[in-house]
Amino acid sequence: MMPPMSQSSDYIKTILLRLGSMSLAITLLTVLALASVIGTVLLQNQDQGDYLQQFGPIWYWVFRALGLFDMYHTWWFLSLLGFLMLSLTVCLYRNVPRFLKEMKSKKVPVSDSAIKHMEHVHHWQLPEQSLEKIISPIKDQLKEWTIRTEERNGITYLRADKGHYHKWGYIFVHSAMLVILIGGWISVHYGFRGNMQVPVGAKEHEISFLKGTSTESLVMPFYVRCNDFSIDFYPNGMPKEFKSNLTIIDGGKEVLTSDIIVNDPLYYKGIRIYQASFGDGGSNIRLKLMKLDGSGDVEIAKTKVYTTFKDDKTDITLEITDFRPHNVENMAEVHEPKDFQDLGASVDYVMRGPGLKPVKIRSFIDPFILNDENRGTFMSVSFSGNTKDFKPMALGLDMTNPKEWELFQRFIVRLGSADLKHPKKANLQAFKLAMADVFGANRPDNFQAMATRVIQAIQVIPRLPWPYIPILDNYDQKYYTGLQLARDPGMNVVWVGSGLLVFGLCIMLYISHRKLWVIIRREKDGVKVTLAGLSNRNPLNFKREFKEILTSFENDMQHLKQGENV
Amino acid sequence: MNAHVETNGIMSSLYQGRPAFVRYWAYIGLMLGAVGLALWGGDGYTENGYIFQLVGQDGFMWLGTGALLATGVSIAYSTMRPEATEGWIPKMMVSWFDGAALMVILMAVLTLFEPTSANVSYEDQSNLFAGHVIMTMNVLFIFSAVSYIAYLFAPDSFIGKLATWTAWAGVYAGGSALLLRWYESYLFMGGEIGHAPVSNIYEVFILLFCIVCIIYLQWERNYEAKAMGAFVMVLVASGVFFAIWLESVGQAEIKPLVPALQSYWMKIHVPMNFVGYGAFAVACGAGMAYLTRMWLEARNSKMVKVFPSLEQLDQLAYKSVAVGFPAFTLATILGAAWAAEAWGGYWSWDPKETWALIVWLVYGAYLHVRISHGWHGKTLAWWTVIGFLVTVFCFLGVNMYLAGLHSYGRLS
Repeated sequence: MMPPMSQSSDYIKTILLRLGSMSLAITLLTVLALASVIGTVLLQNQDQGDYLQQFGPIWYWVFRALGLFDMYHTWWFLSLLGFLMLSLTVCLYRNVPRFLKEMKSKKVPVSDSAIKHMEHVHHWQLPEQSLEKIISPIKDQLKEWTIRTEERNGITYLRADKGHYHKWGYIFVHSAMLVILIGGWISVHYGFRGNMQVPVGAKEHEISFLKGTSTESLVMPFYVRCNDFSIDFYPNGMPKEFKSNLTIIDGGKEVLTSDIIVNDPLYYKGIRIYQASFGDGGSNIRLKLMKLDGSGDVEIAKTKVYTTFKDDKTDITLEITDFRPHNVENMAEVHEPKDFQDLGASVDYVMRGPGLKPVKIRSFIDPFILNDENRGTFMSVSFSGNTKDFKPMALGLDMTNPKEWELFQRFIVRLGSADLKHPKKANLQAFKLAMADVFGANRPDNFQAMATRVIQAIQVIPRLPWPYIPILDNYDQKYYTGLQLARDPGMNVVWVGSGLLVFGLCIMLYISHRKLWVIIRREKDGVKVTLAGLSNRNPLNFKREFKEILTSFENDMQHLKQGENV
Repeated sequence: MNAHVETNGIMSSLYQGRPAFVRYWAYIGLMLGAVGLALWGGDGYTENGYIFQLVGQDGFMWLGTGALLATGVSIAYSTMRPEATEGWIPKMMVSWFDGAALMVILMAVLTLFEPTSANVSYEDQSNLFAGHVIMTMNVLFIFSAVSYIAYLFAPDSFIGKLATWTAWAGVYAGGSALLLRWYESYLFMGGEIGHAPVSNIYEVFILLFCIVCIIYLQWERNYEAKAMGAFVMVLVASGVFFAIWLESVGQAEIKPLVPALQSYWMKIHVPMNFVGYGAFAVACGAGMAYLTRMWLEARNSKMVKVFPSLEQLDQLAYKSVAVGFPAFTLATILGAAWAAEAWGGYWSWDPKETWALIVWLVYGAYLHVRISHGWHGKTLAWWTVIGFLVTVFCFLGVNMYLAGLHSYGRLS
């Protein structure tokens, strides 16, 4: 049997009451706050493999099922927001008509019991007067108040209001929240936000973005070409400005060319284009392969960042992962004044080969100069493959000088045929012979420093397990610019809501509704005047305001008592 | 920044009637001149160029003209309509403007003590003068905190006045030191890295101390709530110790701005946020005073007499939240506007944003239970204290423990 109509509408009413209730609102706010905490503690949108490693298989699947890795877009979080919207709507629906009615209310008389409960009340006993004489000075004092008078049962009531529109604050604030949430919903459903990487000189029209745990892509209605990307540095090596010069190509035509920097996006056809990141766009790299087979040969390998160079002879592969034109480091000790130096360009590669432990290497093009002293070429080596584990390794030799490499090779050869019974003497002898092999009679001026480096290199280089050392020799740098493209049709809605929110809050928190009543009662031997006041908030200020009004009234009342004309 | 106003004599006449009215409009004229300079002056507005224009000949012309014109017009107007000088806005605002002007003048005087540009370098910032001024501020705030505590035990002695004065002195020292740091940031690297002093955690801490003190001192003056100072200033003093630690680990250095921070939004968003944080700190102070008074009452302690009434402390906590909440809301909205311009979206669920939302929800719920449910007293006192802990996590903890887009505020 169907329940009768009235009963079902009662149900609806009860549900509506519940939905609009304060307790539900506060519960919602609390749950939202707690849920939001989870998303900040658990890093969002990371690599799934990392999560699996971090939490183990069981918790990983639990968290994944709850959507905690992309929490703010899960159905349950969005329904929380939906609930908040529903609650706001019901709250507004229930209260707005009432508030509007209250603000319009013209009720002037007030009951004696209500007066009794008011904190601020004062009475005066005056001799017989005309009403006009009492009311006109009161009206003068309350110039800034809205005044209404009414007579009932022989008693004259005067009601003064200030800030009676303060309930608009409530209405504005709650509708503003609704507007902001609607704006957010529009943004999510009709907007997009994604990234594209455009190498200098290339064009691109597809953005990619994360949706849940998968990456999706979207084609833009135009191409973006990156004409140039540049970085400006501060003298201490911190980046000062990232700048891309972009051309928009729409329908095959170049329609717009402009620079963008961080904090200054480009706007085209409702889509904003932001400078978001940058990276290597496939720089041309030339490596010297310094052979360690005793031949002293140097081979040249031409390759590119993000490609893998394969050497067919040795089956060794070099996966070029990154290139950096500058490496600015603070060379000072911890408590000394800072000393920033550019260590020059570097290339990162992973070397793999049969019987070799894979190793990640950062090779610097320049030798390391410390206190004006050439300490030779160096590289950073990481066996874990993680750049955090890079350990510096000095090769000893300055590889930019081919003669030094030659000298090193000759030194090894000469050492091989030296008399090993007197190692020190043998070393010196071998070095002298090697010097003569390479330079003949024309010894370079800095041969002593060279000797130090060669001696150091002999401790390091022969121990390396690799068939050759790949060293950065030359480069032709090319960046890609990382752009973020976004269309956000809900944004302006959000701004409207935000403005309304702040405006409403100011009314709600700073305007208090203050009411004053003056009750003039004719009694046998005179007139009794009562002043009473009430404020819906900020009692401390109202106490003071009431006191001021009381003082000014007191003055007038004294005059009336003495029968003078005011 | 409210300059201390004596109740009688020449000082008070400066803050009433025509002197206040004319001075108020002169300040407004000055500000309109600055706006005019930004809009139409010289070679147009640029982030760095504007500061130099302001202190250069252009600034002198624009600001001077604005101030003189406004002075003239306001004198003429107040002669024609003397009752116009009775409005409450000029009376209220003029002491704030005076305070701000005093801070700028103090800073200008302090620049005289600055070493010449040849003697300072980016690498070694140890001889910059702002460091000394900040140290003075630290001493003043700690002294003030101790005095406020002493006041609880000796309410009739001179120590209470001393506490208030040192707090004010600390505010002026801190404010002028921040302005001085702004000046100092232009001293090296050819002026390339100059920026407003709200770019790292050390600088915003100083700003926070000043804002907390200013808000509290307003309450103290208007509502005779001096016992609350012992709680608020202890919060400030503990912040001071944290700032001293920051300085000792090299966080006090002036560093260049990363590209993401190079925006006029930084100058608006960050200070506005700290008005919110500062007000929440004062609310926490009021809440602690409330709980302490309750505890003292339960023990029939005589010290209760020194405290404002429970009702009053409850009101002051609410008043602080009422200052902080709209400021914090506006700051978050400004942050969203900046994010829309720099990061491609007004909301990214970045940890800082999310925690700002959490703080907002905490105080939003506070206002709900108070205004609509009429809650008062002990629960809400605890609420302000716990709310402030959440706030501290938002402005400090997030930077220390959680990664995200706000990571330039990170401690390294």
